[in-house]
Amino acid sequence: MREDLVVGLAGSGGDGVVSAGESLLGAASSQGFYALMTKSFGSQIRGGESSCRVRLSTRKVLNPGGVLDVAVALNWEDFRRFGAELPVGPDTVLIHEAKAGPPPEDLTPPGQRPRETLAVPLAELAKTAAGTDRAKTSVVLGLISGWFGVPLEALDRGLQKKFSQKGEGLLEANRKALAAGLAHATQRPLATPRSLARPQAPSSKLLCDGNEMCASAAIFSGCQFFGGYPITPSTEVMQILSRELPRHGGVVLQAEDEISGVGASVGASFAGKKAMTATSGPGMSLKTEILGLASIAELPLVLLNVQRGGPSTGLPTKPEQADLLQAAFSAHGDVLRPVLAPTSVEDTFRLTVEAFNLAEKYQTPVVILSDQEIAQRKETVDPIDVSRFEVLERLRPTAEELARGYQRFADTPSGVSPLSHPGMKGGNYLAAGIEHDAKGAPTASGAVHAAMNAKRFRKLDPLQSRDDFFERQGDPDAPLALVSWGSSAGVAREAFGLARARGMRVKLLVPFLLYPVAEPVYREFFASVRRGLVLELSHQGQLYRVLRMYLDVPRDVTSFARSGAQPFRADEVLERLQGLAEAS
Amino acid sequence: MDSFLAPNDYKSPLKPIWCPGCGDYGVLQALYRALSAVGRPPHEIAFISGIGCSSRIPGYTTAYGFNSVHGRALPIAQGVKLANPDLLVVVAGGDGDGFSIGGGHVPHAIRRNVDLTYLVMDNQVYGLTKGQLSPTSPRGLKTVTSPMGSLEQPINPLLTVLAYGAGFVAQATPADMPGMTTLIEEALRYPGFSFVNIQSPCVTFGEEEQQLRAHKARMKPLSSLGHDPANQLAALDLARAYGTELYTGVFYRNPDPPPTYDALIRHRQAELQRGEPRPRARVLERYLQT
Amino acid sequence: MGPIAGFDFERMTLRDALDLAVLIEEEARDRYWEFAEQLATHDTPEVADFFSRMARIEERHRGELLERRRTMFGDAPSSVERRMVFDVEAPAYDDARAFMGVRQALETVLAAEVKAYAFFSEAVPRVKDPELKALFQELRDEEVHHQSLVKAELARCPEKADDSEAYADDPNAQ
Repeated sequence: MREDLVVGLAGSGGDGVVSAGESLLGAASSQGFYALMTKSFGSQIRGGESSCRVRLSTRKVLNPGGVLDVAVALNWEDFRRFGAELPVGPDTVLIHEAKAGPPPEDLTPPGQRPRETLAVPLAELAKTAAGTDRAKTSVVLGLISGWFGVPLEALDRGLQKKFSQKGEGLLEANRKALAAGLAHATQRPLATPRSLARPQAPSSKLLCDGNEMCASAAIFSGCQFFGGYPITPSTEVMQILSRELPRHGGVVLQAEDEISGVGASVGASFAGKKAMTATSGPGMSLKTEILGLASIAELPLVLLNVQRGGPSTGLPTKPEQADLLQAAFSAHGDVLRPVLAPTSVEDTFRLTVEAFNLAEKYQTPVVILSDQEIAQRKETVDPIDVSRFEVLERLRPTAEELARGYQRFADTPSGVSPLSHPGMKGGNYLAAGIEHDAKGAPTASGAVHAAMNAKRFRKLDPLQSRDDFFERQGDPDAPLALVSWGSSAGVAREAFGLARARGMRVKLLVPFLLYPVAEPVYREFFASVRRGLVLELSHQGQLYRVLRMYLDVPRDVTSFARSGAQPFRADEVLERLQGLAEAS
Repeated sequence: MDSFLAPNDYKSPLKPIWCPGCGDYGVLQALYRALSAVGRPPHEIAFISGIGCSSRIPGYTTAYGFNSVHGRALPIAQGVKLANPDLLVVVAGGDGDGFSIGGGHVPHAIRRNVDLTYLVMDNQVYGLTKGQLSPTSPRGLKTVTSPMGSLEQPINPLLTVLAYGAGFVAQATPADMPGMTTLIEEALRYPGFSFVNIQSPCVTFGEEEQQLRAHKARMKPLSSLGHDPANQLAALDLARAYGTELYTGVFYRNPDPPPTYDALIRHRQAELQRGEPRPRARVLERYLQT
Repeated sequence: MGPIAGFDFERMTLRDALDLAVLIEEEARDRYWEFAEQLATHDTPEVADFFSRMARIEERHRGELLERRRTMFGDAPSSVERRMVFDVEAPAYDDARAFMGVRQALETVLAAEVKAYAFFSEAVPRVKDPELKALFQELRDEEVHHQSLVKAELARCPEKADDSEAYADDPNAQ
């Protein structure tokens, strides 16, 4: 019995490959499995090559997985276009449309063959059972049920969800196709059986993606204004909020461009409301000036950047982790703004709530650095008890402070000065991008400027000791370290687990707060470390570079980084760790 | 209701950086008077501007001000108004701030029709940065960035704003203070996007023929031409004379103003919030698989 | 369009005329205060002080007229609004200049007084009421008196043209 199964499906967009994956995902999650699904497709809006990966497990799924356990190819041209995204190895059960002929030679690395290769007359089976060869993905689901133990009732419910709105005849036809697939599999058991174990105590789970999580957390946090512009892969956040936020008394403005979107959000924040915007790399570049304005005007703002391949237009539908330098440093002048990074759909909720809290508490823009994989992968999540999250509000002046002569930018010990808003009597002030004194009057005085910069930086000092923004696992004295962030952290966690299971003395650090660099936390972590890896998806290894800027990173802690669209696999990270362990 | 607010209740202690003789001083006085006439207390007014000499104006009033970045006052102001529609929102800037770098935002602010008033102090030059060409500079104008004379046709702010469908479009000059005061007041009162182009000369970098005494001689009230402000076509026709004639007064006032964007949003929110309230704590329930 | 908007000279009462006169002084006073502030901010203290003095003088005139109004008409509501008055005795906005010298300032004041004189002169034949006529004549003659004071100060001023611009630095971009 297996605890874990990684299924990959590829075909043409018209085949409904992704829908089939969604049915599988839905079925698995309703049965109490943990599951995670990613999609990948060509550049056509529809009808290009299309694929998905679904990973099912009785334990929490940390990442989309590496080499496929089950590969389903509806044709070879489309399957091959996905290359390393759908790796076939010696343990893979390869199922393919019989009509497509045998697998190409170069599908697996030289000298390796899949464990089993099964040619199935999918189109024929579909035609016979359902009257159309289009029902072949339903046949595939039946095969998966028969060979890998995914319960049929669950898959059936998935079909209901997909087809019930599209005519009764279609649902019946596809049910027959499902049954036909199951029958075919039952009559031809696998040489090496690999059924999925059933979850021990199945419980209800949430099923959603990172964008949905972020939008939900924004609503939960009391966000009242969203100004933005469509850009892949963040648009869903705006779409969800445009439907939901007005129900909570909020406003969503799809503005005429990225700059106007964030400008409107800053205006809303100035007017006293919690405000947010969402974008990807190119939009973040455009928004940079307004972010600087919000920093000097000390206005709260949350900006979600769902990273995609860059630079410039880059790879709009692929994940990459190469916007850290921009998120942290992109500003003229001395600007310090917090950057938070979720590592999964699950922690996207918590970190979005934290982002709003930091923004409000420290009166600053806060960047949430997600990526295309987290934002758009569907993941099962154990229900989140939202009552444990504190939601903070900005510090407002008291009636007494307003009566005494309010100074918006008073240089307080903490650096945070009470923030009024239009409508508040006695709180009138001038917010400005120009440097200003405590009252808000424009100034060019060097002394005042120095004091103001100090104030704006000082107010973020408490972030240096936010232990709760760091996940640490393993032996605190271990000499071997693994550091990772964002979606790569999911792979790091799995590799770490495997390394420990093999008896390696290794420890793991996952920062959720990437910037400012919490030096005390890193210094403590690196104290015992002789060797290690910083794992991330960017050509430059951006976090590694940032850490080297601020810390004495041990010399043999090196960057394991590569350009996006080629996510890491746990096995390759393990291999590197093993190499480092043996070297010492 | 608050007691009477005098014009000086809107005057802040901050001293303007404008050169003596600048037309903006007149605009500021007229604004104090217009605000006093409208009577909203300063703390209920949000005054947003971009960058430029004229954009300094919010700081010279006691309203909540936001002197933001070049060209982005309109988006920020719309965010303010949509976040709190009860505020009186005023936007100010120069011809460069509004029609050069900010030009892309103008059509959308107009078609959205958020209730705010946009005052542009048009002096055909970039004063703050020492006298460069501006988008309303006449063709042939010699400036520090067009030493051989500008080769570009100027933009026509009146025609542009009218063509985008603004419901209130007027032009004023500090050479006629009572007129300008009245126009600003009318614009503030107009329910929707309202625009006043104010010919406010730059005494340091502007042309001699463009100073206020020249305005006094040249200006022609639209009312004296028998213009009916409800006639949008006639307004467009008259607006074409921007640059040759200095028409003052209301070019166009929509006799039947459509609902503002902020009013429509409020209406929609009210509708959506009828029935069962949706507590934020249950926001994830829709994703629960059972 | 004249300097008084929306008011019918033929139907003006004495009370209206006094209220108007008060507002005219008030406008002039406010304009001089503005100039004083502008020039103080722009580092032209001598002329700033001069305009402050002019503002105080206008305030005194205003006070005197207001006293007369109160004596005759008490606190009866006024039918005249400030917005009906524009640049009657107040110098035009573009008469101020950075680095302006005292001579230029005096000339500005003189021009304002001449303007006011012209206004009151025109008003005299237009009003019917003898008391009103007398008031406007009085105000007109006051202007003559003011002009002679200003001319006397001008005479005491150095003859040469103001050359402060020649010494001043170039404007600064911000």
